[in-house]
Amino acid sequence: MANKQEVSPSNRGFSIGKGPIKTSRTTADALRNLSVPARPQVDASDVVVPDGYTVEAVMAGFSFPTDIAFADDGTIFVSEGGSSWPTRPYMPARVVIVKPNGETEAITMNIQAGPRGITWRDGMLYMCIKGGYHMQVARYNLETGELKILIDKLPSGGWHEPGGPLFGPDGLMYFGNGSVSQQGVILPAGFTVDMAKHPLAHDVPGQDVTLTGNNVWSRDPRMPYPFLTETGPFKPFGTPAQKGEVIKGALFCNSAVWRSKPDGTDIELLAWGIRNPFGMAINEEGELYVSDNDFEEKGERAIANDPDRIWHIKNARQPYGTVKTPDWYGFPDICGDGLPVNHPSHLPAKGKAAELFLQDPPPWAGPAAFLEQPHSCMCRMDFSKSDFFGHRGELFVAEWGTMAPLNSPRPEDLDHGFRVIRVDVKNGTGVPFMHNKKMGPASAWGTGGIERPVSCKFSPDGRSLYVLDFGHARLTKGGMFAFAHTGVLWKISKNA
Amino acid sequence: MENNLSKQPILIELDLECREEHYSRAEAWFKNVQFTQASFRQLLEDTVPKIEEPHIKDYLSTMLAEAIEHESKAEDLFRIIGRKPSAIRTTLGDFLGKSREVWADVIALAGGAKGPWQDLQQLYVSNLNSMSAFAVAEQLGLALGIPRILDVTFGVVAEKSTSQLLLQECALEMCSKSILYKQPF
Repeated sequence: MANKQEVSPSNRGFSIGKGPIKTSRTTADALRNLSVPARPQVDASDVVVPDGYTVEAVMAGFSFPTDIAFADDGTIFVSEGGSSWPTRPYMPARVVIVKPNGETEAITMNIQAGPRGITWRDGMLYMCIKGGYHMQVARYNLETGELKILIDKLPSGGWHEPGGPLFGPDGLMYFGNGSVSQQGVILPAGFTVDMAKHPLAHDVPGQDVTLTGNNVWSRDPRMPYPFLTETGPFKPFGTPAQKGEVIKGALFCNSAVWRSKPDGTDIELLAWGIRNPFGMAINEEGELYVSDNDFEEKGERAIANDPDRIWHIKNARQPYGTVKTPDWYGFPDICGDGLPVNHPSHLPAKGKAAELFLQDPPPWAGPAAFLEQPHSCMCRMDFSKSDFFGHRGELFVAEWGTMAPLNSPRPEDLDHGFRVIRVDVKNGTGVPFMHNKKMGPASAWGTGGIERPVSCKFSPDGRSLYVLDFGHARLTKGGMFAFAHTGVLWKISKNA
Repeated sequence: MENNLSKQPILIELDLECREEHYSRAEAWFKNVQFTQASFRQLLEDTVPKIEEPHIKDYLSTMLAEAIEHESKAEDLFRIIGRKPSAIRTTLGDFLGKSREVWADVIALAGGAKGPWQDLQQLYVSNLNSMSAFAVAEQLGLALGIPRILDVTFGVVAEKSTSQLLLQECALEMCSKSILYKQPF
C-alpha cells in the first residue's frame, strides 16, 4: 500500500454550501422541559459563577459541538457533528450560524469526521477538519462559497484532535495536530474503528529520534481468533521497532504545533511531543499557550496520575521563519509533571509498567505553565482581554471532564473536570469559574446544569464569555456513548 | 450583538414537529428490526429439530430462547418513542425465515453439503442481518438523545455478537463433515 504520509495533489476538498437549519425560539422556562430525554432540562440556576456575573443558556440542541467563533459584527459560529467522540453516530457535519438579526443558517459539508476547530477572519471561516489519514486546514469564503484546502498533509487517522486554527497579533495562523496513538504506541485500547479505517496510521516525530527497541504486545482485534502482535512507537499497528532504529523527524508530524501564513504556506514547526494540543490561545503579549491531555491508565501501556497541563510554547516568541529546531514537550515518554512514564508515581494500578521508547531524548521544554487534575480533559480556551469582564490576562479553560471509569480505575478521578477554570499562567495557579453546584456533570445529579464544556471564547467586545457544552456522554468501565441534541451554548456576562 | 438570545434562546431540531418527523423515520427502521429478528427466530426455530448432535442442539436451543426475548425487545423500541409495534412485520419475518430454509436447501444441493449444515450457514447470515438492524436502532437512539433505546439495544447486540461467533464456529467446525463426508450431524 502507498505511503499515506503523502496525499494526492488532486485533493480539492469536499462539497460545502449554506443551507437552512431547523431552529425555533423558546424561553428560559421552557428549557427546563425539553423533548430530548438524555438532557430533559437546561437550567442556568443550577450553574455556579462568581458573584457579579450572570449565566444563561442561549442555545440548546447541538449535536456533538466542538468550537465557537465570532465575526466582528457579532455573528456566532458553532461547529458540530461529523464523527466525533465516539465516532458514532455521525451527525450532520456543519457550522451553525446565528446572525446579529437572529436569523439562523448552517454551513453544511459532506465530510466524514467533520469540523473540529473554527475561527473567523476577514470574511473567511478557517476550519481544522479531522478525518481520514490527514487532518486538514481549510478556508471557506462566506460570500463566494469558495472552499480552499490550505494544508492537507498533517498525519492523523487516530485518537487525538486538531488544535486551532487561530490568528496571532502577528497575522500568522497557528494550529496543532494531536497524536495518532493514545499511549505513544498504536494499541487496541483505542477504539478499534481507527485500526479498521486507518491500519497504516502512526505517530510521526517532529525531529529525528532513536528508539530503545521497547515494543508493546497486545491482542490484534482485526484477527478472527485471539492473536498477539507486537507494536513499536512511530509504527503502524503490528509493526515492531528495533533497538537503535532512527525515525526521521518531519515537518508534517503530529503531537505538534505550527504557524504559517494565512494561506497555509511557509509552515514552521514550533513544538512537538504535545499529546493533544486541542486548546490554543494567544494572550495580549502575543504568547502562545496550548492545552494538553494526560496519558490514560488503561490498556497495555497504562500510565497513572499524569496531570493535564497547559504548555507555554516558547518558540512562538522567536521571529517567524527562524525556528530551526522545534521544542519537545515529552510525548511519548514524559508526563506533564516532567517525570518519565515509568517513574514509581506513574505506575498503573494493574498491569506492567510502561517502558521508555526514546533513547537519548531531546531536551524537555517544560515545566508546564499550569498542571490540572488528571483526566480533567482541558479543551479549548481563551484569554480575557477585557477590564470590564475582569481577570484580564487570565486564561479561561473549558474542561470536558473525565472519561473515568473508562480511562482510569481510580475513584478520585470520577468528577475531575466538567467546569470552566481561570488560570494565571504566570503563577501557575487556577480556580474554578463556572461549575455545577455539585462537581461532576449535571446528569450525575439529575439537574439542569452543565455537562461537558468543550470550548469557551470571549465575544468580540470581550464583555461576555460563551461556553460551549458538548452535551451528555455516558461512560462505563467498558465503553462510551454520546447523545446528540444535548449540546448547549451558555453565556456568562459581567453585571453592569 | 445580543441576537435576542437572552430573552429567546434558540432550539436546534428540538421543536415538536421536527422531533415527530424524526420519530416517524426511526419507527420505519424499527419495523425492519422487528422483521429481521422475526425472520431469524423462525429460521432458528425450524433448524433446532434438524440437529442431532446434542451439544450443537443445546447451543441453538439456548440461542432460540434469547431470540424470542430479543423479538420482544424489538417491540419495546416502538413503545419508547410512543408508537405501536407492527404485527405485519412479524408475519413477514416468519415468512422470510421459511424462505431462507428453502434457499438453504438449494445451496446445499448445489454445494454438495449434506444435512442441516446449510441451515447453520443461513442462520449465520440471518443473525448478522438482525444484529446490524438492532445496532442501527442503537445509533438512532443516540442520535435522538434517547438513553432508553441504548438500554434495550446494547444488551441485545452484545448477545447477538456472541451468537455470531458461535454460529461461525459451528458452521466452520461442521463444514468438512457435511461437504467432504456427506454426513449429517
